[in-house]
Amino acid sequence: MKRGKSDNWSMGSRKKLTAIDYVLFAILLLFAITIIVPFWNVLTVSFSTQKEATETPLMLFPSDPTLENYRYLFNDGKFVVGFKNTIVLLLVGVPLALFLTTTMGYALSKRYFPGRKLILYLVTFTMIFNGGIVPTYLVLRQLGLIGSLWAVVFTNCFSVFNLILMINYFQTIPPALIESATLDGAGEGRTIVSIIIPLSKPILATITLFYGVGFWNQWYDSMIFIRQANKLPLQNVLRSLIQNTEIVTTATSSLAALGQSQYSDGIKMAAVILTMIPVVCFFPLLQKHFTKGIMVGSIK
Amino acid sequence: MRKDRILKPKTGSLLAEIVKNKWTYVLLIPGTVWFIIFAYMPMGGLSLAFKHYNARMGIWGSPWTGFENFSYLFADPAFWASVWRTLWINISKLVITFPVPVLMALFLNEIRMRRFSKVCQTLYTFPYFLSWVVVSGVMINVLSYTGVVNSFLQLLGVDEPINFLGSKSKFVPMLYLTEIWKNSGWSAIVYIAAISGIDMEQYEAADLDGATRWQKIWRITLPNILPTVFVMFILSTGNILTNGFDQVFNLQNAATRDVAEVLDIYIYRVTFQSSTDFGFSTAVSLFRSVVNLILLVMADRLAKVFGGSGLFGEGGKREKRKV
Repeated sequence: MKRGKSDNWSMGSRKKLTAIDYVLFAILLLFAITIIVPFWNVLTVSFSTQKEATETPLMLFPSDPTLENYRYLFNDGKFVVGFKNTIVLLLVGVPLALFLTTTMGYALSKRYFPGRKLILYLVTFTMIFNGGIVPTYLVLRQLGLIGSLWAVVFTNCFSVFNLILMINYFQTIPPALIESATLDGAGEGRTIVSIIIPLSKPILATITLFYGVGFWNQWYDSMIFIRQANKLPLQNVLRSLIQNTEIVTTATSSLAALGQSQYSDGIKMAAVILTMIPVVCFFPLLQKHFTKGIMVGSIK
Repeated sequence: MRKDRILKPKTGSLLAEIVKNKWTYVLLIPGTVWFIIFAYMPMGGLSLAFKHYNARMGIWGSPWTGFENFSYLFADPAFWASVWRTLWINISKLVITFPVPVLMALFLNEIRMRRFSKVCQTLYTFPYFLSWVVVSGVMINVLSYTGVVNSFLQLLGVDEPINFLGSKSKFVPMLYLTEIWKNSGWSAIVYIAAISGIDMEQYEAADLDGATRWQKIWRITLPNILPTVFVMFILSTGNILTNGFDQVFNLQNAATRDVAEVLDIYIYRVTFQSSTDFGFSTAVSLFRSVVNLILLVMADRLAKVFGGSGLFGEGGKREKRKV
């Protein structure tokens, strides 16, 4: 984030910088600032005391940095439980999602077999028409999955968009390669494990990231399908922390109300930072793979 | 087309074909099971819209009631209010926020400081990867009475702190702003790619003719990316009934609840917050799914007319060619 302030930019061309360049520079810099400042503020508030956060909103650095807010979160059972639940969601959900997408993607990448067209049609149809939240809830209830993380795992472990990316990728693998393996006596299973999977590492990485971000940012299904607080993932814990203050501040709309809130701004912002960290760490990878994804997936 | 005929064997019965592809069918089993249970069973569950839900008899056993749920639904003023509100919010949001990424892409391309442009582009895309839960946390912090924005305005001489997120009149404008903040950097990527795909010769020819910078933007860059802009716009119109739930739901609060109830929040409220009538809730779900289907199909057709590859992108196009 600090790089935004860097001024060692080089000129793209030898031409002189004109007034337009300075106007554009100002506009782009302004937008960059509106992105950096909120994050910076969240970061500083998370390291400061409630008193300092309310008294000096425009601080650049907290004068007396404290880890108290983070300590509170780690000692507070809810946040740690939420973190654990999200990890479980990722560890179970992403491999399952990869398994489903790869098997179906590989099968549908075959140019022809009876029923292929019908299956493809039925699969892509779900992209434009679905039951919606209420019937899904009822189906999950009949399966006895309501109140369990499995409900969220199952409803989020397949995406038709990712399936199409997978099919397209598999179709670029030369069929001759597969045929020669078959001629050498390799069965279908062996062909997949020793030829297809090694060749598909790039797309597997992309799709792992897609599903990973999906599960990490998932909150709506968890809110609907899991009602017990101790089973909710991180995003929902964060949501309840944030919403908690909000009700207090809006109900009385005065500064005094801040004191009544169960959680200080510092604690809330520390929670925001902790929920953001994995996204920040993976950001370079995410940007690269997602960009590839939309280029293949949308328009060319 | 000729290739297809070669791929598709002419001899051999259907049964022989099935036996030959038996492993393909085995591979299809896990995915198919998922689709049946988690996509098509809920779709079948939409039949509940025409039933009176009875918990003991389940989705399939509950008694039929015809259009009773719909007559209740269409008589509910809160339902219509939520539909119009959704359309109003999403259409105005689309009109206002849509040009931003296009301009952003033009600016990022036009500025002669390459590295600065790259850094900005990276920075702008970051918020896209955060959930609206996180973004709402950031926004509530920055826009509160004692937040950065109000303190800054105070320095500029604004006396009264502005209640950005707790006022009914400012709620929808705040949706525009936060949408631009979170997603426009990401949307700009498509246009940046379109601009980088423009043939350099066109610019070189223009240089020889002594064209000014503005002329090059107006006569070369813009016309070249216009088809992309158009297709993106049409595709966004397909989602005007379903977009923005995450955003509205996380940014709303007790003070703005009245102006924030979009269709999806109405569904949430009648299903999970008041005394539950699943038949009624499913009727709303069905209404939403059907209208959404119509909008998506219309947008898809239009986009294809104007030269895009439609909703299913490359995949859909390829399928049609190869099968």
